[in-house]
Amino acid sequence: MRALKAYLRSPAALIGSVILLAVLVMGLGAAWFYPNDPLGLAGRPLQWPGQNPRFPLGTDPSGRDIAAQIVHGARISLLIGFVATSIAVVIGIAIGSLSGFYGGVVDTVLMRVTEAFQTLPNFLLLLVLVAVFGSTIHTVTIAIGIVSWPPVARLTRAEFMTLRTRDFVQASRVQGLGDAHLILREVLPNALPPVIVYASVVMAVAILLESALAFLQLSDPNVPSWGNLIGLGRNVLRSEWYVSAIPGLAILLTILGVSLVGQGLNDALNPRLASGR
Amino acid sequence: MRILRLALRRLAASLPTLLLILAGMFLLLQLAPGDTVDALMAQMGGGDAALAEDLRRFYGLDVGIAAQLWNYLTRLATLDLGFSAIYGKPVATVILERLPPTILLMVSALSFAFFFGLLLGVLAARRVNRWPDTLISTLGLLFYATPSFWFGLMAIVLFSVYLQWLPAGGFYDITMGYTGLAAVLDIARHLVLPTLTLGLIFLAIYLRIMRASMLEVLSLDFVRTARAKGLTETRVVARHVLRNAMLPMVTLIGLQAGTMLGGSVVVESVFALPGLGRLAYESVVQRDLNTLLGIVFVSALLVIAINFVVDILYARLDPRISAES
Amino acid sequence: MTALTRRETFLLGAAAMIPASAVEAQETPRRGGVLTVHFATEQRILNPSLQASTGVYIVGGKMQEALLDLDAQGNPVGVLAESWESAPDGLTHVFRLRRGVTWHDGRPFTSADVQFTAMEMWKKILNYGTTLQQFLTEVQTPDPHTAIFKYERPMPQGLLLRALPDLGYISPKHIFETGDIRQNPANTAPVGTGPFKFVQYERGQFIIAERNPNYWRNNQPYLDRVVWRVVGDRAAAAAQLESGQILFSPYSSLAIADLQRLGRDPRFEATTRGNEGNVRTNTLEFNFRNPILADIRVRRAIAHSLNVPFFIENFLGPFAKPGTGPIPSISTDYYPTEAMPQYGFDAALANRLLDEAGHRRGAGGVRFSLRLLPAPWGEDIALWATFIQQSLQQVGIRVEVVRNDAAGFLRSVYNEHAFDLASGWHQYRSDPAVSTTVWYRSGSPRGAPWTNQWGWTDARIDGIIDAAATEVDPVKRKALYADFVRAVQTELPLWMPIEQIFVSVFNRRIRNAGNNPRWASSTWHDTWLAS
Repeated sequence: MRALKAYLRSPAALIGSVILLAVLVMGLGAAWFYPNDPLGLAGRPLQWPGQNPRFPLGTDPSGRDIAAQIVHGARISLLIGFVATSIAVVIGIAIGSLSGFYGGVVDTVLMRVTEAFQTLPNFLLLLVLVAVFGSTIHTVTIAIGIVSWPPVARLTRAEFMTLRTRDFVQASRVQGLGDAHLILREVLPNALPPVIVYASVVMAVAILLESALAFLQLSDPNVPSWGNLIGLGRNVLRSEWYVSAIPGLAILLTILGVSLVGQGLNDALNPRLASGR
Repeated sequence: MRILRLALRRLAASLPTLLLILAGMFLLLQLAPGDTVDALMAQMGGGDAALAEDLRRFYGLDVGIAAQLWNYLTRLATLDLGFSAIYGKPVATVILERLPPTILLMVSALSFAFFFGLLLGVLAARRVNRWPDTLISTLGLLFYATPSFWFGLMAIVLFSVYLQWLPAGGFYDITMGYTGLAAVLDIARHLVLPTLTLGLIFLAIYLRIMRASMLEVLSLDFVRTARAKGLTETRVVARHVLRNAMLPMVTLIGLQAGTMLGGSVVVESVFALPGLGRLAYESVVQRDLNTLLGIVFVSALLVIAINFVVDILYARLDPRISAES
Repeated sequence: MTALTRRETFLLGAAAMIPASAVEAQETPRRGGVLTVHFATEQRILNPSLQASTGVYIVGGKMQEALLDLDAQGNPVGVLAESWESAPDGLTHVFRLRRGVTWHDGRPFTSADVQFTAMEMWKKILNYGTTLQQFLTEVQTPDPHTAIFKYERPMPQGLLLRALPDLGYISPKHIFETGDIRQNPANTAPVGTGPFKFVQYERGQFIIAERNPNYWRNNQPYLDRVVWRVVGDRAAAAAQLESGQILFSPYSSLAIADLQRLGRDPRFEATTRGNEGNVRTNTLEFNFRNPILADIRVRRAIAHSLNVPFFIENFLGPFAKPGTGPIPSISTDYYPTEAMPQYGFDAALANRLLDEAGHRRGAGGVRFSLRLLPAPWGEDIALWATFIQQSLQQVGIRVEVVRNDAAGFLRSVYNEHAFDLASGWHQYRSDPAVSTTVWYRSGSPRGAPWTNQWGWTDARIDGIIDAAATEVDPVKRKALYADFVRAVQTELPLWMPIEQIFVSVFNRRIRNAGNNPRWASSTWHDTWLAS
């Protein structure tokens, strides 16, 4: 409750929430705003914004309505961001908690794997994953999740390492509770707040990664993603730059919203830092 | 000498990681649809099946996967990265040719991000919660939220297409035949936009970290003592705060080396820079296994090296830590 | 500033009234200058004796020469061969070679080079060459200036002469005879007889060639240097054209929007002139292993659902036109004279055909779903795939576009047959027997790209294709190809509804640009730059 109040007091968090909410409404109401298929042929290709009242944001090189794609793209970006983040957080927490809780050989092995993932440039791994498993929305999302978990694992591990020696954990251990109970019930809930804050960073990066893939024409062409639109616009950049500019702004605003919310959460959940500001 | 010994020890400790990466990558690529001969066929515009079979023999793809991996790793033990299918020369040569633009880009982007991140971070912290802080923090958030490739594209539209101030792409202008200082300036001109594009997000991150850690350090006891001694605020910041506040930033450089190398794939693609990132993209598309593994190897080494340097820097900045530990 | 006399003013005015073309005709070629060329798709090798692709010709074709090229009218003209004659049975073809030609390293060019290249490179390694020269048994060299090609089965002279400008590049025997031909360093640093000598190749950046002072055409070439700039990004290449860093962009390597935009700019010419020998058709390939598509009514319905003229007008612009079959209209020798079965846009008919075939609309108006695999090269292919997706949705066919890179595309379509619809380019190479009929002839081994991998066989069409390939009489050959086109347009195993000639963008300073049907691939011996 106290955290919620702190959150609502922060102007950054409020602005972020409003932006995210707007994107969310766009995404959820996409079918209501633009009931037709956003990838369908809507009119003559490459009409400038405002040139034709039917297309307030113009049309792309394939004759599709950019406004419709922006609205429907909100859903795709949020979905990719949310699912990929969930995957990364689940993998990260699993590896980080095992590593931090048990230490020793388990820790060494798991941290070697984490290190391997961190040493490899993540975008390179993403390229390979997409080349190998194909460019459908599912594979792209999973691949983004797979390349994004290592920082989460490190963060969780660090929290676990400090928490596992605390009195309340020791007390539970003395009571003879199993490891599973200790990890899930005792340590994890206390280790979670910084991980949740960090999840906003993972989500922002996930949305950026998908758009970068799409820009290289490696994302799923069957969904109206903002990145796809930027990639398409690249061919006409020198004259019809608006095709790339509009979805870029949409991405920018969404990431801004995600980061502001993350910052607000951080201030609310980390009172130590919040008081410093 | 001590540094060299340290470096070697660090490298030895990283060997299992390297091996894990290479073997994992090798096996992963076996699952990819099509091989380098398919990619070559696409480039040639066609050919018959006997030709394809002949080419597979030529590229050593006619033996089993385990044998191929074993061959690769034994060659690697003698530091032989193998032969590149796309380029028809040793992978080591190909990578060495492509390394300079990437290193240059990374160094300049890092310097840009570090310097301005530091500057803006300090400025924001000194004027905390006043308008310069709000302005800088907002800019930081905006930079952080900007997709780098999109920023690059828009920069091309503005600075190359409309204003015609800077070249739209490439590493240097060959037809001008510049030498000496003119050549250096030419390369610098070509690197301005890529540096901004790659560095922007890191600038945003460093700025935020610097601001936060400045605020934290400023509230510590020794700063109060220094202030109490009657030192000017500028002196306090320069002599006492900066050094300590920079520590988290330095750590971050090491952590993000891999991310930055990954980011250069996109930036090099936007600006047609002949660097390692674009080579990586090409070798994935061309299924040039040797080249890709070579790049993975070299970039992993690069990340390890950067982390090593970061640790040494850290030890310099923070007297409590020695690089030996 | 000095005032002009009345006489001078008059002369200047008169000069301004002479059309530009007349000025050009009167101009004498100027020596010197650097021609900078856009090189969009970097190749693994530059040797056109080993790899037949435009990306190789655009570079290697300036350093190495073929036995023949095409003249302004598109007829074979001698380059390294001066004259040729064929036996009536089509089994023997004699080429008399040019005298006094030397390789860039000073060694003389002889019939031994022709023999070596034909037997070791064309017959064994060169794509399309291996098929063309499949029945070549030997090349006799009675003297250094005569090469006699002996065939096991009749080789139509027309086919050979049409194929050789692309598949007839000669490499120096003394450089390639030792070691593995494929690993020879001369493959990326060519040694030839051509007007330009190789200087330097920086991968990913540029290639430089300089004037060959000992070239066999006296006083040629005019240019001092040719520099190819490797620019993969289309928008970047357009920017470099406008800033003068690139003077020539070949083979439709720019974005369609930029081709049209630069075409309106007085500094440039965007034209199909000089590419008449490089025609491609956009394809729509059907997988017969899917029982839905094995039904001819469904294939015809799909063809009728696509408004090709609309697509061309709105997306491709003036450089494309509706295609009428596998043999493009530019091929005067083989383009059928009578009308062939066509599939105009008729959505009502398409819906009726689909209903007849038993595919009623289900939930959401969808009859069935198909996977479409577009080839990853060419902006037009991506646009076409999107258009197919959009159009078929209108008749109740849901299309999922599956994106692949080049290797993945070839493997999925031509080896694993994991597609329902596929789309790419068919390149017509002067004669249907070179690279067109393989799209229809059955029996190609699994995995051979751009061959009939549709799971479709028609013995009658196979028979026509085989007969035409060895028919020596040009009139009968043409009639056989008309039969072929009629048969495949009726059966529709794949559809080629759009015909495109590649577009070049020239800076207007380039003179003698596009003066033969394969200009971008040719030697540029007479090309020069106005100041």
